[in-house]
Amino acid sequence: MEGIVLTVHSGIKESSKRRRHFLAKKTEYFWALTFLLPTLLALIVLRITPMISAIYSSFFIAYPGGIRPAIFSGLENYRTVLSDSDFIATVERTFLFNLVINPLQISLSLLVSVLMVQRIRFEGLWRTLIFIPVLIPIVGSSITWQAILQPDGPFNSLLVTLGLKPQLFLNSPQQSLQSITLIASWIGIGYWMMFLIAGLRSVPSEIYEAAEIDRAGPIRVFFKITLPLIKRQLLFVLVADIVANFVLFAPIQLLTAGGPESSTTLLIFDAYRTTYGYGSRNLGATKVVILSIIMICFVALQFSFLREKKVKEIE
Amino acid sequence: MFKKSNRSSKSIWAGIASLSLLLGGVVSTSSYAASTLTIPATDPDTTIKVLSFMNKADIQTVLDAFAKEHPTIKVDFQTVPFNDLQPTVDARVSSKSADLDVYWADQPRVSALAARGTALDITSAFSKYRSTFDASPWASGLYNGKLYALPIANSTQMLFYNVDLLKKAGITPPSASISDRMTWEDLVVDAKKAVDSGAKYGLLFHQFDRYYQLEALPVSKGGGIGAQGKGNLIPNVANKGWIDALTWYGKLFKNKISPRGMTPEQVEPAFLAGQAAYMVGGPWFLPGLNLSKLNWGVAPHPYFKGGKAATANGSWSLAINPYSKNQEASAIFLKFMAIDGGSGYIKYRNDPELAATPEAKKLYFAKDVFATPQGKQAATIIDYETSKTGVGRVQTVGYIEFETIMNAAFSDIRNGADPGKVLREASNKLRKAWAIYK
Amino acid sequence: MRIRNRSEQKRFRTNWSTTICAALLAFMFIIPAIWLFVGSIRPNNEILATMSTFGWDLIIPSRLTFENYYHLFADLGFGAALWTSFFTSGVTVLVGLFLALLAAYALGVLNFPGRSIVFSFVVISFMMPFEAIAIPLSQVFTKWGLANTYLGLILPGIANGLAIFNLRQYFMGIPKSFRESAKLDGASEPMILFKIYLRLSTPGLINSALLIFVGSWTAYLWPLLIVSENHLQVAPVALARAFGEHASSYGQNFAGSVILSLVPAVAIFALQRHFGRFEWGSEEK
Repeated sequence: MEGIVLTVHSGIKESSKRRRHFLAKKTEYFWALTFLLPTLLALIVLRITPMISAIYSSFFIAYPGGIRPAIFSGLENYRTVLSDSDFIATVERTFLFNLVINPLQISLSLLVSVLMVQRIRFEGLWRTLIFIPVLIPIVGSSITWQAILQPDGPFNSLLVTLGLKPQLFLNSPQQSLQSITLIASWIGIGYWMMFLIAGLRSVPSEIYEAAEIDRAGPIRVFFKITLPLIKRQLLFVLVADIVANFVLFAPIQLLTAGGPESSTTLLIFDAYRTTYGYGSRNLGATKVVILSIIMICFVALQFSFLREKKVKEIE
Repeated sequence: MFKKSNRSSKSIWAGIASLSLLLGGVVSTSSYAASTLTIPATDPDTTIKVLSFMNKADIQTVLDAFAKEHPTIKVDFQTVPFNDLQPTVDARVSSKSADLDVYWADQPRVSALAARGTALDITSAFSKYRSTFDASPWASGLYNGKLYALPIANSTQMLFYNVDLLKKAGITPPSASISDRMTWEDLVVDAKKAVDSGAKYGLLFHQFDRYYQLEALPVSKGGGIGAQGKGNLIPNVANKGWIDALTWYGKLFKNKISPRGMTPEQVEPAFLAGQAAYMVGGPWFLPGLNLSKLNWGVAPHPYFKGGKAATANGSWSLAINPYSKNQEASAIFLKFMAIDGGSGYIKYRNDPELAATPEAKKLYFAKDVFATPQGKQAATIIDYETSKTGVGRVQTVGYIEFETIMNAAFSDIRNGADPGKVLREASNKLRKAWAIYK
Repeated sequence: MRIRNRSEQKRFRTNWSTTICAALLAFMFIIPAIWLFVGSIRPNNEILATMSTFGWDLIIPSRLTFENYYHLFADLGFGAALWTSFFTSGVTVLVGLFLALLAAYALGVLNFPGRSIVFSFVVISFMMPFEAIAIPLSQVFTKWGLANTYLGLILPGIANGLAIFNLRQYFMGIPKSFRESAKLDGASEPMILFKIYLRLSTPGLINSALLIFVGSWTAYLWPLLIVSENHLQVAPVALARAFGEHASSYGQNFAGSVILSLVPAVAIFALQRHFGRFEWGSEEK
């Protein structure tokens, strides 16, 4: 009799424990939802709604200016845009630009970060100085660099003093994108450096001590030890940098207006000019949709790569 | 009896229905049908929102004068950066929220604004004032025979030169007399001489790479204003006149007579700093020249040998938002700015600005800035050019695309691209861009 | 090459040659900014006149003057623009930080099915560049009557994917035992978040706040699209007013740039002293 009571009792304890466990889980889900709600709402309002609006708008054709009523036209805008050789050239240009600038910026940022975590004095000061370009308003930075890179500006004067030929920089179709890259990197390197330094610092020193005992050279240490350990940070920075550079806008709008000879006409500038310069809202929306699709693929691809690495590390 | 009236009332309703459909159709396809705007006898009591790129400080005296004459109409004057003016106007008008009443409209863009429905038809209120204006500024406000904007200013271009730099190079300064107008060909020779004797820049154009500034070149070569055909929607920028004129332009930079990369904002300061021998610029430069210590002279805008004399012209007009709830008050503001006393805007501004009406031009030329010997010469030149040689910019609904594409083309030519190739490319781009208007 | 770890901060032999390398690099980065700063305190016409020669007058002004600063405030109404920037950035930081720490806690500490998918989704969506949807977003906002409003200026800035990511890293670095023992004591999740996690994550919070602040303070495209009325415009866009149709003032533009750069610079510097090194994405506790 007692045995049965005991079994029932422990049975009840078991199920009440399970019930408590279930309740606890429910409470956890409740809080998760509540905490996430503002962010999810923001997501809907700030990302999903405009995307839907742009997609909707891209199915209409209208007289420029946006006042005369638009006519439904299905995929006509997409046909127009994708058969425009200038637009295809812009897409190619944007791709090529990103293929070059992203590895370049990340490598340079990494180099700078590595330098900053060496045994140097006044490290905070150097870091701050390199970071200052991030804080200067883009209008000020752009105008400053435009003046510096002018054909008869200080940079060329320096080149001439050193015996080199003066360059055209922003005024040459071949050098304009590179000049824009220079300006963007001047700002970007300091920004990404902040993230990479944190990653570098989180590597435990014991690992380096072990490497020293093994008498590994600095380069081997860097590639075989440091790089793999900061891979997560590095990939995050790479993805974020790709995203930022894909929509590089302000220096182009302020300095080159897409020229010379369309050499700096990148996707987002093209969309902006179509929408605001020419007043062709629907065509501009079409370009924005195409740009976003390309972006999502890019980011999703890179991010899945990043996640894979993370899962591997936990294991 | 009942049935009969049913049938007749049915047909009456049918008649009304089809009539309203017809009317509705008419109203929506011809933007805002016939103009109904009138200027009321008494001022309404309201506030109007006026959008411009000008700093409020520069126009305060005008606003104060308006407030005195029309105390019940308050003006909320708003400023946006110059490059953002058009997009802002577009955004506000298309939102149909009556968030804008009057705005500054670039004269060559009025056709495009009218076609898009961005500007109110003001024919009924202002057509009777046609004779108070100079021909070219007035014409810029017309589209399909109706009036959409009133000009408040005009402009022209002149040749300024640095007396000391010319003396140093042993160059005879150009005459200020219209009958002795220099040719571009001769000017380039002199400019080169100046550079060889030490001048940093031979020739500067105030607005490098802008259609406003450079239109005079192909026109002088007989190449036309850049478009032709019905509504000026067929590009005409790759003909011999255009290619020759712009080849000449590109050579200026190849031969180091003019600098690449210098932006319009840098040109006047460079001339004032004594770095340039010649500069093509507008009358708004005169006050700055007078205030500086520079030894300067003025001469008429050059022309191409064998061609005709042509100068840039045009400036700003005022237009009304078709969705404005204060159309009558806006009309009163327009009348004050463009017509009253010659032109309220010109009359009350502290800085002198070239007027679009003969009456206000008298006030303009009476300003101090024309009291000096060079000032008097400038006045004569300005008067002549605005009456005889000013060439309006091409009037087309596709003007915005035209200006954007052509300015990029000029910039490319300036940076060394082959003019023929660039202009043919521009022609293609224009055709593509204007396809939407066919 | 020996990477100095945090714990080694205080005791190492300085490598002077590397220090000089760092100094040179920093100097190269800062030269354009120095030119900008000098330009702000010299007569405006001098800036252009001295631009094309590589001489000492490039960075040594003929005389020092604050006329650019004066004109900036007197003629361009920069004071109002500064106030708008302060106000909108301040509110953005407060609201944005609150949103981020809630989301970071949910995505980093709480457990629920599909957590990693939601996390990826949230971060990807917000890492989607703002510029891509700025144009349609501004049109949507205008339709909703948010054009030329503080709300319209602030809203897009409150959701910052990087800040969420950053804070989540911090939260995940805090030992789970704290939360477990708190729960045994009967604490609710909000209490755990605000009483425990927040207290332990001050550097993470500061860093995230600064991230959000810098993003909002330097915003250009969004304010350009959503605000057309002068008195509501933020400072970086207002600076463009220094360039009129015919004339321009580099000096005023530079003066405004200096002021706008100093605000976050001073904030970072001051907070650095209080909370140790300023870094982003660190997992240190």
